[in-house]
Amino acid sequence: MTIMHHPSDVTLAAVASGTLDEARAVVVATHISLCPRCQNAMRAFEHVGGTFLEAAAPAEMSAGALERAMARLDSAAAPPAAAVEQRKPAGDEALPAPLRQYVMGRWRWVAGGLQLRPIQIASDDDVKVFLLKGAPGTCLPRHRHGGTEWTCVFQGAFRDEHNRYGPGDFDEVDENVEHYQVVEEGMPCICVMALQGGIKLQGWIGKLLQPFIRI
Amino acid sequence: MRDNGDAVSAAEPAAEPAQWIGAIAARHDRAAFAALFGFYAPRIKTMIMRTGASAEAAEDIAQETLLTIWQKAAQYDPARASASAWVYAIARNLRVDRLRRDQRAKAFALYEAVEVAEAERPDGSLDAAEREQRVRTVMQELPEEQVAVVKLSFFEGRAHGDIANSLQLPLGTVKSRLRLAMSRLRNRLGDAI
Repeated sequence: MTIMHHPSDVTLAAVASGTLDEARAVVVATHISLCPRCQNAMRAFEHVGGTFLEAAAPAEMSAGALERAMARLDSAAAPPAAAVEQRKPAGDEALPAPLRQYVMGRWRWVAGGLQLRPIQIASDDDVKVFLLKGAPGTCLPRHRHGGTEWTCVFQGAFRDEHNRYGPGDFDEVDENVEHYQVVEEGMPCICVMALQGGIKLQGWIGKLLQPFIRI
Repeated sequence: MRDNGDAVSAAEPAAEPAQWIGAIAARHDRAAFAALFGFYAPRIKTMIMRTGASAEAAEDIAQETLLTIWQKAAQYDPARASASAWVYAIARNLRVDRLRRDQRAKAFALYEAVEVAEAERPDGSLDAAEREQRVRTVMQELPEEQVAVVKLSFFEGRAHGDIANSLQLPLGTVKSRLRLAMSRLRNRLGDAI
């Protein structure tokens, strides 16, 4: 798998510092789980946090804090290695690891060739998270967004005006971008998306289709 | 609590913590745990309080972080991360987890999932001490305005939008300062990122 499109450093830094909202972090985490290069960047950025932590002025701990921790060590004994690795959340084995822990709805048809499966993640930011599956050759007509649209492909591929997005590729567009997307021939394309504020189809065909597209 | 002691320049390279974690992994060494607790728990407490948590909640997270270290010591790979970076990541996970749990009673294992994923080592990787030293150097070289944004993000756990509000800067300015800082870090780490 050759990943061509990565999240920006600003986005990776937001994940490394734990400051990205969960809805968007899920999409970035999906990419990171598939991308050794970004795993290394995350690791490097965590060292930034490490240097601040090391340099922090120590706060005063409450009386007996260490003793309380020591008393818990035996009951907190290391679980068998297998138990740590085998943490299998409910869900599809075919899903990238970060997605498996979430409760998902059923697949439903959105429009010809397009199916959507909602992922239950609350958002303060009007961001909806879902899997989107496009049959080969499906075209999502020209559209704009009510807000940001973050996407990570994990099966198949789609193209827009400029680029091809295959497994692991990440795309982040904002409300100023207008684009169309076409699923490549061959196999269905499945991606995880965090979409803010829905999409607005452009052009007269789009206006006709809009009522039928429930995203 | 001193207020100015947490400037990055005050940091001493800490060689021992990695060895303490190793001793816990190898033989459940309680003395090593106590040493690790003595160094990190008060600093984690400071950091978590700076994110806006109460002293009590911050101390809870410090306790949980140290217990997690006890449980996961065998997973620590000193070639990939400095002890402080690893401890930071655990404390961050627990902080994020707690924020989510407060809101809607669901464990947040997202970053864990990322950690479990198999990573390829970067080519020509630096040893951990060298990498840590380079990160520290970059933090010292950065212009003050970039350090401020990086620190608000990584140490005080503030989202980019919050940082923009509290510094009264456009969001784009906050992001561009972060971008410059991270790009300097990439350049300095070269192949090791």
